Amino acid sequence: MRELLGRISALDPEAGAAVKVIAYFDELAGTGLEPVVRGAAVLTGVPAGFVGPGRDPALRVAPDGSVERGAHGPDPSWCSVRAGGGVLWLELAEEPGPVEAMVLERAAAAVRARMERTAPMAGGRAALAEALVDPGLPEEQRARAARRFGIVPGSPTRAVALHGGGIRVVAAAEDPGGERAGVGPAVEALGLPSSWEDARRALRFTARGTGTDPGPRVVFAEDLGGLLLLADTVRPGDPPVPDVAALERVARDAAPLLAALEAVASSPSLRAAAARAGVHHSTLQESVGRAERLLGWPVREVTGRLRLQVALVLRRLHHHP
Amino acid sequence: MPTPPPFDPELAAVLAVLRDEIPSRLTPDMIPDLRRRRAAQAFGPDDDLTLDGAYTETGHHAPGHDGADVPLLLWRPTGTTAPVGTLYWIHGGGMIMGTHRGAEIPALLQTAHELGLALVSVDYRLAPEHPHPAPVEDCYAGLTWAAKHADDLGLDPRRLVVGGASAGGGLAAATALLARDRGGPDLLGQLLVCPMLDDRNDSVSARQMAGTGVWDKVANATGWGALLGEAAGGPDVPPYAAPARAQDLSGLPPAFLDVGSAETFRDEVVDYASRIWKAGGSAELHVWPGGFHGFDSMAPQAALSRSAAAQRLPWLRRIIGV
Repeated sequence: MRELLGRISALDPEAGAAVKVIAYFDELAGTGLEPVVRGAAVLTGVPAGFVGPGRDPALRVAPDGSVERGAHGPDPSWCSVRAGGGVLWLELAEEPGPVEAMVLERAAAAVRARMERTAPMAGGRAALAEALVDPGLPEEQRARAARRFGIVPGSPTRAVALHGGGIRVVAAAEDPGGERAGVGPAVEALGLPSSWEDARRALRFTARGTGTDPGPRVVFAEDLGGLLLLADTVRPGDPPVPDVAALERVARDAAPLLAALEAVASSPSLRAAAARAGVHHSTLQESVGRAERLLGWPVREVTGRLRLQVALVLRRLHHHP
Repeated sequence: MPTPPPFDPELAAVLAVLRDEIPSRLTPDMIPDLRRRRAAQAFGPDDDLTLDGAYTETGHHAPGHDGADVPLLLWRPTGTTAPVGTLYWIHGGGMIMGTHRGAEIPALLQTAHELGLALVSVDYRLAPEHPHPAPVEDCYAGLTWAAKHADDLGLDPRRLVVGGASAGGGLAAATALLARDRGGPDLLGQLLVCPMLDDRNDSVSARQMAGTGVWDKVANATGWGALLGEAAGGPDVPPYAAPARAQDLSGLPPAFLDVGSAETFRDEVVDYASRIWKAGGSAELHVWPGGFHGFDSMAPQAALSRSAAAQRLPWLRRIIGV
């Protein structure tokens, strides 16, 4: 049989060949990069190649269909076109003829279609998680990422924003781990972009959990209730309200008192707060008394305790972008 | 109708482009046009087929069983005067078309060159003008003649492999049956590339692929009908016409068989290999997922085609290599 694909290049580009080139690359758009690059090489009779945007080695295919991976990128003198964040080339130094130009154009379109469909899938689970929380991606693409990620349709998941910038996606019932993180509400896979938004808000309510930055290392958005709204009103550069300025003074002049205040704010009783802070309750009582004098309001009464809780939260929001 | 297996995606794209040129359904009224197209693809007398001087090409004639001349082409390596092994090739074309100087010759010469073999290609008579047994008897007559004149031709008569693709694969299998039953020539192997073996044309794969792919049930009925007329599919078809009809597959030379999962011939090829094993014989079988009939000759550059083609040389090397 010599109705070989390679024969197409010998045909009149104005007539049947054009239609066939278009049909061929349209069909290939759903397959993979290698068949597209091979198609370009076979149809033009010169080697073709593609180097992607990532660190993947370049792919080069000879007109006989043989594949070389890890090839060098294109020589500047060759015909090339940008496609899918990478470069597609024909090893052709002269001006491309009508068939070559059309092949390059259609192959580039097929590469773009391919990269759009698979780009978020390329880099493993981290990249998949990134795709899952990206509200800019079409639903179909996120659904695909969810399947690839292994999310059972209908089962609730959470987006987790890690301190330092990482993204995780976990099952609703899964322990998000001890890393400092904001945890979004449980949603179905396609709701992950909104879970991610809240996870990032929740992250701003976390603390290092140390003496100078006391507070929870993991915060669930659901547990914040209406406090979550504060995340949108307080930005790091904003001037602090007087109560936060007062806390900053405590942090500067009497840092150990911060941990005592955090313990009081987050414990049901002074005795429980002492246990939490790891000190004797009379020691804690003494520390809190000193702190109250520095702050200027009583923190052991109901209203004063709420005022302390809000001030501590606002301080974290001021600190965390 | 059972759902057919999916085509390999790269091959599906090739099929989409070639759809107009190669309809799945081929009916007897299309034979003249099919032959014209096939002839246009074959090499002309001016085309050089010497692999840049690595081979010499000579024409010969063998006497046919009924007195007719059987044309043969011989390509012999120029690099040696010692007797060389021979791949005796039978072209395809559904029993109704094709020539012995077809488009596959350069690739066959490449393979022969790798192993230092000669290549012989036979121009058997075609159906329906020449029904069974003319095609297979011509193939056998050519093989017998080549073995008998091996000394004159510079061939080693003990190192013969018969091979063919599609209808040629079926004829190669039938020629191997004849060689077994008539006491020679002795063959080292039979290379059966997507062979056409069974005139009954009613396997699951034949039914699955009806109206799709390449060489569907209707096309297959056209080919077998041309070869056998009314007898096709009936009770009295001899094994030398349709090797799947052979009761006894013992005592055959080692076989290489390959076929696509998405083609009419899939089941008959798998069954033939299986029956060779059951009869105590040697067979290597490859079933290529999503391959249509003749995929590796129509789209030799595709990934699956390259894999399929790459299996034949190592087998030949084991069977006939030095």
